[in-house]
Amino acid sequence: MFADNLLSLVIWLPILGGLAVLATGDDRRAPIARILTLVISLATFFASILLYTRFDIKTADMQFVELSPWIEAFNVNYSLGIDGISLLLIILTTFTTVLVVIAGWKVIQKQVAQYMAMFLIMEGLMIGVFSAMDALLFYVFWEAMLVPMYLIIGIWGGPKRVYAAIKFFLYTFIGSVLMLVSLIFLYFKAGQSFDIQTLYAVKLDLTEQIFIFLALFAAFAVKIPMWPVHTWLPDAHVQAPTGGSVVLAAIMLKLGAYGFLRFNIPITPDASHELAFFMIVLSLIAVVYIGLVALVQEDMKKLIAYSSISHMGFVTMGLFLFNPQGMEGAIIQMISHGFISGAMFICVGMMYDRMHSRLIKDYGGVVNTMPVFAAFLLLFGMANSGLPATSGFVGEFLVILGAFQVNHWYAAIAALTLIFGAAYTLWMYKRVIFGKVTNEKVKGLTDINARETMLLATLAIAVLAMGIWPFPFLEVLHVSVDNILSLASVSKL
Amino acid sequence: MNLIAVAILAPLSATLLIMLLRRFPATLALLGAAIGLVGSLELLANAYNGLSQEIILPGLPGMPLRLVATPLTALLSTLVAVVCTLVMVYAVGYMKKDREQVRFFATLLLFAAAMQTLVLAGDWILLLSAWELIGLSSYLLIGFWYRKPGVKSAAMRAFLVTRSADLGLYVAVFILITNAGSSDIASTLNTSGGPAIAAGLLLLIAAMGKSAQTPLHDWLQRAMAGPTPVSALLHSATLVAAGAILLIRTAPMLAPETLLVIGIVGGVTTVVTGLIALAESDLKRMLAASTSSQYGLMLIAVGAGVPMAALLHLIAHAAIKSSLFLGAGVFQHSRDSTMLDKLQGVGRNQPKIFFGFALAALALAGIPPLSGFFSKDAIIAATLSSDHIWILLPLALAGTLLTGGYMARALRILWLKNGTSQPVSGLAWMGTGLGGLVLLAVILGAAFPGLELLLESALNIRLTENTITRFIPEILGLSAALGGLLLGWFFPVQVLLGPILPWAKRGFVVAGGFDNLMVRPALAIAHGCEKLERLLYKGVLATGRLGLRLGKAARRNDESGIDGMIFSFVRGTVNLGGKARTLQNGLIHKELAISTIASAVILVFMFIVLLTY
Repeated sequence: MFADNLLSLVIWLPILGGLAVLATGDDRRAPIARILTLVISLATFFASILLYTRFDIKTADMQFVELSPWIEAFNVNYSLGIDGISLLLIILTTFTTVLVVIAGWKVIQKQVAQYMAMFLIMEGLMIGVFSAMDALLFYVFWEAMLVPMYLIIGIWGGPKRVYAAIKFFLYTFIGSVLMLVSLIFLYFKAGQSFDIQTLYAVKLDLTEQIFIFLALFAAFAVKIPMWPVHTWLPDAHVQAPTGGSVVLAAIMLKLGAYGFLRFNIPITPDASHELAFFMIVLSLIAVVYIGLVALVQEDMKKLIAYSSISHMGFVTMGLFLFNPQGMEGAIIQMISHGFISGAMFICVGMMYDRMHSRLIKDYGGVVNTMPVFAAFLLLFGMANSGLPATSGFVGEFLVILGAFQVNHWYAAIAALTLIFGAAYTLWMYKRVIFGKVTNEKVKGLTDINARETMLLATLAIAVLAMGIWPFPFLEVLHVSVDNILSLASVSKL
Repeated sequence: MNLIAVAILAPLSATLLIMLLRRFPATLALLGAAIGLVGSLELLANAYNGLSQEIILPGLPGMPLRLVATPLTALLSTLVAVVCTLVMVYAVGYMKKDREQVRFFATLLLFAAAMQTLVLAGDWILLLSAWELIGLSSYLLIGFWYRKPGVKSAAMRAFLVTRSADLGLYVAVFILITNAGSSDIASTLNTSGGPAIAAGLLLLIAAMGKSAQTPLHDWLQRAMAGPTPVSALLHSATLVAAGAILLIRTAPMLAPETLLVIGIVGGVTTVVTGLIALAESDLKRMLAASTSSQYGLMLIAVGAGVPMAALLHLIAHAAIKSSLFLGAGVFQHSRDSTMLDKLQGVGRNQPKIFFGFALAALALAGIPPLSGFFSKDAIIAATLSSDHIWILLPLALAGTLLTGGYMARALRILWLKNGTSQPVSGLAWMGTGLGGLVLLAVILGAAFPGLELLLESALNIRLTENTITRFIPEILGLSAALGGLLLGWFFPVQVLLGPILPWAKRGFVVAGGFDNLMVRPALAIAHGCEKLERLLYKGVLATGRLGLRLGKAARRNDESGIDGMIFSFVRGTVNLGGKARTLQNGLIHKELAISTIASAVILVFMFIVLLTY
C-alpha cells in the first residue's frame, strides 16, 4: 500500500512516530520510549533503503513523485520527488538518526521521551527538505526543522546552552527570511507557482539573478556554514549534546549545500557563474584559514567543529567549479563528511561521558586504558585527514581534480588541506591518546562497551566501504549531476 | 586465481585474520608473507616468459583502478616479497618477548600489502593511495612503542614531513591526468613540454620526502625509534624505496632539466647524509643516514639518464641494508642499546652475526664480487656517460668514499675492544632471516645481467656499455671504496671531519631546521588566524547587539503603530516562549524573541510590498 507513497512514508513515519514517543510521557516509561524510537528509526532506515533499490539510475527525472494540492488559493502543492542527490542525503539522514538514537541510549537520563522524539521529528523534517519539490513546502520544512534542534541544544546542552541555542536560531532564521523573500519574488515571476521545476524555466535578468542568488546565499551559506558567517557553529557544537552535534554536523550542514544545488545553481545559472569566483574564494578561505584555526584549538569539540567548516569548504568549492568531477566530488564529500564528522563527535562524546571534559590538556595516554577506542579514533582521524581507502579521500580528490581543470591555483591551495587536515587531527590524537598518563582520571577509564563498539564499527564500515568501493554511491549521482550541470549551462538571459 | 591478487591479498588477508583471531600472529604472518612471495615469484617467472597480467577495477568515474605486472613491476614485487618474508622470519625471533605481537604483525603485513599495491599499481590513483597507505603504516610502526619517550613525536613528524612532500605527488598527478585525459600511468608517460617539467619536479619533491633526501632527510633518522625489523623493512628496503621507484617508473617522461635537478639533489644528499653517518654515534641512526645517502646515489643515476643503474642499486641496497639492520637488531638485544660506545666489541660476542654484518658492510662499500660492487659500478658508469659528468661524477665518487668510511668505522667499533653481552633469545629465527638476506647481498650481482636483459624493453633505456668503458668506472669505484674503508678504519672521525664534526653530529641543521623554519611559523600563523577569528566573533556579537537595539526601537514604534495581526502573532510567540520556559527555565530570552520576530515580519512585508508593486 505504501508503494506509491514511499517518500511520504519516509517523511511522516518518523514525525508521527516522534509524536507517539512524546506521548509515552515522563521518564518512568523511558525504556519504552527508547525501544519505540529505535524501532521507528530502523523502520525509516529500511524504507529509505527501499528507495535506493527501486531507484532508476538512468533517468534525470524526479522519481517517487507525489503531488496533491495543499493551499489551492495560492497554488501551493504538496509536491515531492527525489533525484540521486536527494536519495543519498536521505539515506545519510536515516542512517545517522539510527546511530544517534543508539548513542543516546544510556547517556540521556532526563526527559528521555522528549529527547528521542525530537530526533525523530527532526529526521522527518530534514527528509522533507530533501524531497520537497514545491518551494513553499521546502521553506516550511526548512523552518520547522530549526525548532527541534533549538530545543535539543537548549534543553540537553551544556552550561551555556541557552546562549548557543538562541545564537543558532537567530543566525539561521535571519538567513531564512531573505530566502522567503526571494521565493515569493520567484513565485510571482513564474506566474504564481512555487513548483521548483517551473522556477528553473523562469527568465530572469542578471540583476534579478544576482539579488536572488545573494538572498538565497544568506540562508544557505549560514547553514553550511561558509566563512565568515560560521561563528555560530563552534558555539552550537560545544554546547549541544552529542546527538545534537552529530545531526548538526552530519546532516544539517548539508542542507545548505543542497540548497545551493537545488535552488541557486539551476534557478540563477548566470549569477552562479558570475559569482563562482566569489564562492570559490570564500571556500578556499574556509579550507586554509579555518584549517589553521583548528590547529590551535584547545577544546576537542571546537577542533572538530572547525574541521567541519574546513571540509565543507570543499563542498562549496566543488559545486561552483561547474564540472562533473567537482560536483560529484562535492556530493561524495557531503556524504563522507556526514560519516566522519558524526563518528568524530560520537568519539568525543564517549570520552566526555567518562571524563566530563572536552579539553585536550585533560587527556593524554588514553590508549593505555582504552586501546579499542584508540584504534577506532585513529581510523576516523585518518579519514578526517583524507587518507586513501577512507571516504574522506574520494570526495577531496575529485574536488581538487575538478578544481585543477578550472584553475591550477585553486587546486594547489585546496590541496594544502592534506597537510593541515593531517596536522590538526594527528596532533590532537597524539596529545589525547599517546604518551604518559598525567591525569589520574585517565587511569580509571574503561574501554568502550559492546554497544559503543557496535556503533563505532558501523561507522567504520561505512567510512571504509565508501573509501574502497565508492561505485554504488557514484553511480546514482551521474545522471542527476549531469542534469544540474546542463541546467546550469543554459543561460537565462 | 590471478597472481597479482595473490601478491596483494595474501598479506592483507593475513592482517585481517590476525586482527580477528588475535592469536598465532607469527604463524599467520609467515604464512601470509610466504604465499604472497609465491605469487610474486610466479609473476616474475611469467614476466620472463613475456606474459603480462593486468587487473582493472572500477574506481572513480572515467578513471578505473589498474594493477599491472610488467617485468619491472613484477621484479619490484618480488623484491618486496623476498625482503618482507625474510624480515618476517627474523621478527618472529626479535619480537619473542613483546606482548603486542598481534598489533605488530598485523600492521607489518598491512604495510606489505600496501607496498605490493604500490609497486604493482598501473594507474595514478591507486599508486597515490598506496603511497599514502605506506605512510600510514610507517606512522603506526614507528609509533609502535608509544610509551617510549620521543616515539610519538617521531611518528607524527615522519607522517607530516612525508605528507607535506606528498602534496607534490598530488599536484603532479592532477597535471598528468588532466594533460593525458587518463589516469593510466603508461599513457601519461607521453607527456612532454612544460607539463612534463612541472610534473617531474613535483614528483621529485614527493620522492625526496619518501626517500628522505636532503633537506627532508631528518625524519628517517628519528624513525629509528621503531622496532628494528621495521627499520629493516620499511626504512631501508621498501618504503623509502618508493621515492626512487617513482622516479624510475616515470623516467621516460622526465625532461633533461628535471634530470639535472634530480641528479644534483641526489648528489647533495649522498654527501650530506654520508657525512652525518660518519659522525653519528648511534648504530641505527648511522644506518638510517646511510640509507638516505644510498638513495642519493640512486637519484644521481636517474639524473644521469640511466634509471637501470638506479634500479640495480635499489635491489642490491634492499638486501644489503636490511641485512645490516637485522645484524644491528641482534647487537641491540645483546647490549640493550644501539649507541656505538655501548656496542664496542659486540662482534666478538656474536661472531656469526658479525660475519654477516661485515659481509653486508663490504657489499655496501662496493667491494667485488659482492652485489654492491656491480650496482655502484653501474652508477659511476652512468655518470660517466652523462652530459653533466663534472657535476655528477665527483658527487657519486664522494658518496662512495663516504660509504666506505662510515662502514669501516662501524666495523672497527663493533669488533675492537672487549665487552660483555647478555644472551639473546630467538637467535635461531633472527639468524635465519639475516642469513637469507646476507646471502642475497653477496650473490645478487650475478643476477644483474639477466635482470638488465629482462628490463631492457620495460625501461626503454640504453644497455650498459661494453667492457672497455666499463673498466674505467670499476677502477674509479673500487679506489673510492677502498680509500673510504682505509680512511674509516685507520683514522678517527675527529681527524676525518675536523671542524665540521659538531655540525655533522647535529645533522647539519640550518637555522634551527624543520622546527624553526616550518613548524614555528605555521603555528604562529595559526595563532594569528585564531586571533582574527576571535575578532570576527566579537564583531558578530556587536552586530547582534546593534540589531537588538534596532529591534527594541522598532518594537516601541510598532506597538503603537502597526495593526493587531503582528501584535497577536508576537503575543502568541511570547506565550509559547512562556510555555517553553516552564520546560526549561530561561530558555527563551523574551525581549530577544519579540524583537527578532517583529523585525523579521516587518522585513518580509516590506520586501513583498516592494517587489510586487
